[in-house]
Amino acid sequence: MITNRGDGSRAPAVHRIPLYAEALFGEKREQITAETDPALPFSPKGTCSECHVYKHDYDIINKGWHFNSTDPNIVPGRPGQPWVYVDAATGTQIPLSYRAWPGTFRPDQVGLSAFQFTQRFGRHMPGGGPGEIETQIDDEIPRQMISGNLEINCLACHNRHPAQDQAEFAANVAKQNFRWAATASSEIASVSGSAEKMPDTFDPAMPDTVTDPELIPQVPKVTYHQGIFDHKDNVFFDVSGSVPADRCYFCHSEINVTEHGTQKWEADQDVHMTSGMTCTDCHREGLEHNTIRGYEGEVNPNALATKTTCKGCHLGDEKGRPEGGRLGAPVPKHLGIPAVHFERLTCTACHSGPWPADTTYQVKTAQAHALGTHNVNKEPNALPHILYPVFAKESEAAVDPNEPPLRGPRIGPNKLIWPSYWGTRAEDGTVKPVELAGVTEVVGAALKGLVPARLGDWAELKEEQVGQALKALADAGQTKPVYVTGGMLYQLKEDGSLASEKNHPAAAAYVWPVAHSVRPAAQSLGVGKCTVCHATRSPFFFGKVAVDSPIVAVSNLTRPQYEFQKAKHARTWVFAMSFIFRPWFKIITIGSSAVIGIVLLLYGLKALGAVARVLSEQEQR
Amino acid sequence: MFQTVAIVVFLVTFIGIAVHWVLTPAGGPRCPGTGAIHVFSLLLIEQRASLLGALKKLCYLLAMVCFLVLAITGFWPTLVRGEHISGFLMYIHATFAPIFALCLAILALTWAGSNRFVASDCPWLQRLLRRVTRLRLPADDRPWRCSLAIYKLAFWAILFLALPLILSIVVSMFHLLGTDWQHLTLALHRWTSLVFAVAVIIHTYLAIRLRMTSQA
Repeated sequence: MITNRGDGSRAPAVHRIPLYAEALFGEKREQITAETDPALPFSPKGTCSECHVYKHDYDIINKGWHFNSTDPNIVPGRPGQPWVYVDAATGTQIPLSYRAWPGTFRPDQVGLSAFQFTQRFGRHMPGGGPGEIETQIDDEIPRQMISGNLEINCLACHNRHPAQDQAEFAANVAKQNFRWAATASSEIASVSGSAEKMPDTFDPAMPDTVTDPELIPQVPKVTYHQGIFDHKDNVFFDVSGSVPADRCYFCHSEINVTEHGTQKWEADQDVHMTSGMTCTDCHREGLEHNTIRGYEGEVNPNALATKTTCKGCHLGDEKGRPEGGRLGAPVPKHLGIPAVHFERLTCTACHSGPWPADTTYQVKTAQAHALGTHNVNKEPNALPHILYPVFAKESEAAVDPNEPPLRGPRIGPNKLIWPSYWGTRAEDGTVKPVELAGVTEVVGAALKGLVPARLGDWAELKEEQVGQALKALADAGQTKPVYVTGGMLYQLKEDGSLASEKNHPAAAAYVWPVAHSVRPAAQSLGVGKCTVCHATRSPFFFGKVAVDSPIVAVSNLTRPQYEFQKAKHARTWVFAMSFIFRPWFKIITIGSSAVIGIVLLLYGLKALGAVARVLSEQEQR
Repeated sequence: MFQTVAIVVFLVTFIGIAVHWVLTPAGGPRCPGTGAIHVFSLLLIEQRASLLGALKKLCYLLAMVCFLVLAITGFWPTLVRGEHISGFLMYIHATFAPIFALCLAILALTWAGSNRFVASDCPWLQRLLRRVTRLRLPADDRPWRCSLAIYKLAFWAILFLALPLILSIVVSMFHLLGTDWQHLTLALHRWTSLVFAVAVIIHTYLAIRLRMTSQA
C-alpha cells in the first residue's frame, strides 16, 4: 500500500498516475482518459487519494493547518494574517478569519457564507476549508451543485512543473468553477467557461443540454492537452513532497510599496532564502500537514514544532543535546546585548521586517491584495492599507486556553490594519458589524458618488457623509448604528449630530506578527549602537504609526509606537534620555573601579611587604 | 533561588546584629528613644572636624544614601515582587550607581590608611604564628577588639566586592560579552550585591558601635 508515509528514501517518487473525476452522488469515481467525452475535470481528491489511501489520508490532511481554519476545535494559535473584505464605495476594510483571532470577524458575522467567502478569497487558498462546506442556504444549494466543492488542490503546493498556474486557479474560483479550478491551474489541461453564468438547472455532467447560444461559450469545458495520456492512460505529474518556494510565494508574497513600489527586483528577499534555504526547510510537515508556523509556544502535534523556531535553530537547547546550528544556522553571540532584551523582545524585533523609519511603511501582501492574479490592481495605494513595522507587545493572554502562556509577553514587529466598518452598538457597548449586503445597499446608496482619488484607494469621506450614512442605517432598522474607522468610533447623538469616540475597543487596530523577511545579522537592530532604539527620537519607540481611514481628518493622525508596547511616554522618554549620560556612567564607574583597584593593589602590596619583612627578619637571625 | 537565599541571608544578618546588640551592650543611652537620637546624631558632622574631615563625612553620608537607594531599588523587585528590576526603579538604580561608585572610590582613598590591619587587630594570630613558626613577632598584649577587626575586614570586603559588583554591569555595556556571559555577569552582579550589602550592613553597624563605645 502506498501512502505519504515514506520509506526513508530521499529520492522523489515519480508520479505517472491515472486521473479520476469527482465521485458524484455516491457513484464510483470515473477514470478520465483521452477518450472521455465530455472531458471531465480531474478531482485532486479522487486522483491523489487513489494511492494515498482514499478518504483516509484526505481526512487527515484536511485537518492540517492550511485547510482547518473552519474547524472550531482547532487551536487558533498566534494571530495571523486575516482576509480583508474591502469596499471603497462604503468605506469598508474589515479583517475576517474563521480562526478565533481577537480583532477579526468570522465571515458569517458580516453575512458572508462559506460559498461567498470561497468565491471571493479562494483565489489564494489551496482548497479545502470553507471550500468544502456544504451550504445550507437555499439559494446557494443549486449554485454549489454546479460549482462543486473547492477540494484541496494538492498541485497548488506540490506541483513543481513551471506551468502550474495559480493565477488561472484564482480566475476559475472567481467564476465559481470550483471543481474545475485544480484542472485549470495544472499543466495538463485548459478550462473555459463560467459556472457562475450557468442557470440553476445546469448539470455539469450534461453540458450539451445548454442550448442558449449566448450561454454555450460560457459552459465550463475542459480540454486536455494532446499527448499527456500515455498508452496506459496515465498522466505524468512533476509533484514532490519538497514544495518549491515559488509555490508558497503565490499566497505568501509581500512587497514594501513605500520603499519599492511594486517592483520585486528592488526588494531583497529573506536572508534564509538568499542563503539557499527554502520555505519548507523550516515550515515542515508530514502527511498530517501540520505545518510548523515557527513561533515559540506553538501548539502543534508536529514533533519538530518546538525546535523549529528562530531560537531552536540558532541557539538550540543549551542544556540538552546541542541543537543550535541546525541547517547551518549561524549561532549568534549577541555581543554587548544585555540579557533583558531576550526576555522583552522577540527575535524578529531586531531581525525581521524593514528597518524602522520615522513613519510606518505600507505593505501589499498576496492574500490581501490578490497579488499574482490576472488584472490585479498594481497601484501601491490599493486597498486594503496594511502598515508595518509596528512594534507591539504580544497579547497578555493566550488566544486559546489550551495554549501555554506566552513567554513575556514580548515586543515584536507586526503588520497592522485599521478596521473600517459599519456596525451597531449594543447596550453593553460592544459593536457588531452590519451584514455587508445591507451596508452595500443602504450605505452605498447614502454615499453614492464617492470617487476614489486613485484607483482602488479610499474615496474621501467627510464626517457629514458619515452622519448621513448612519441616519440611513438607522432608518433601515439598525439600532444605534456606528461607523468604526482609524481607531475612532462615530455614532449619532440624540439630537442627530455626529459624535466620535477615540480608543473604543471595537476600533482597535488588528495586528499580527511579522516573521519575514529576516534581514542579515549585520542589519539587525542594535548591531551598531544602543541608540538605534534607545534615543528620544528612535523609530522603535517614538516612530509614528500611520492611521488609515477614508476620513481625512482621521487619516492625518498618527499614533506613537510606544502606545502599542503598552508603555507610558514619560517612562520611555526618560529611559531613552538616560542613554545620553551612559558614556558618563561608564567613565565614572570605570574610573572609580580603577581607583578602588589601585588602592586594593597598593595596600595589598603593603601587606605583602609587611609579611615579607617579618619573614626576612627571621632569616637574618 | 536567589530570592530565597537573599531573604534568609538578610534575616540572619539582622537577627545576628540584634542579638549582638543585646548581648554585648556598647554603652550609651539604654532608652530606645534616646538611643535612636544618639545614633542619628552620629550622622551629623562634628564642629571640630576639619574641611577634609567634613568632606569625608559628607562623602560617607552620600555613599550611605546611595547604598540605601540602590539596595531598595535593586532588592525590592527581586525579593518582594519576584521580578527583575525594570522601569523607573531601574532608572533610579542606574542614576545612583555611578555616584555610589565615585563615593566609594573617594572613601577607599581616604579611609584605606586608617583601616590597615595592625598587630593589635588580631593578637591571637600573632601568638599562634609565634608558637608555630618561632618568628620574632612583636608582642602586643592589649585586649583584642573583635569589633574593630571585623569593622576593618568589612571595609576591605566592601572595596574588594565593589570591583566585581561595578564591573559586572559596566562590562556588559560594551560589545564584548555574548549572551551566556551576559547572563553570568548579571548573576555575578546579583550575588555580589547580596554579599556586598551584608558587608555594608555589618560595617555600618560596627561603625556605630565603635563610635558609641569610644564616646561612652
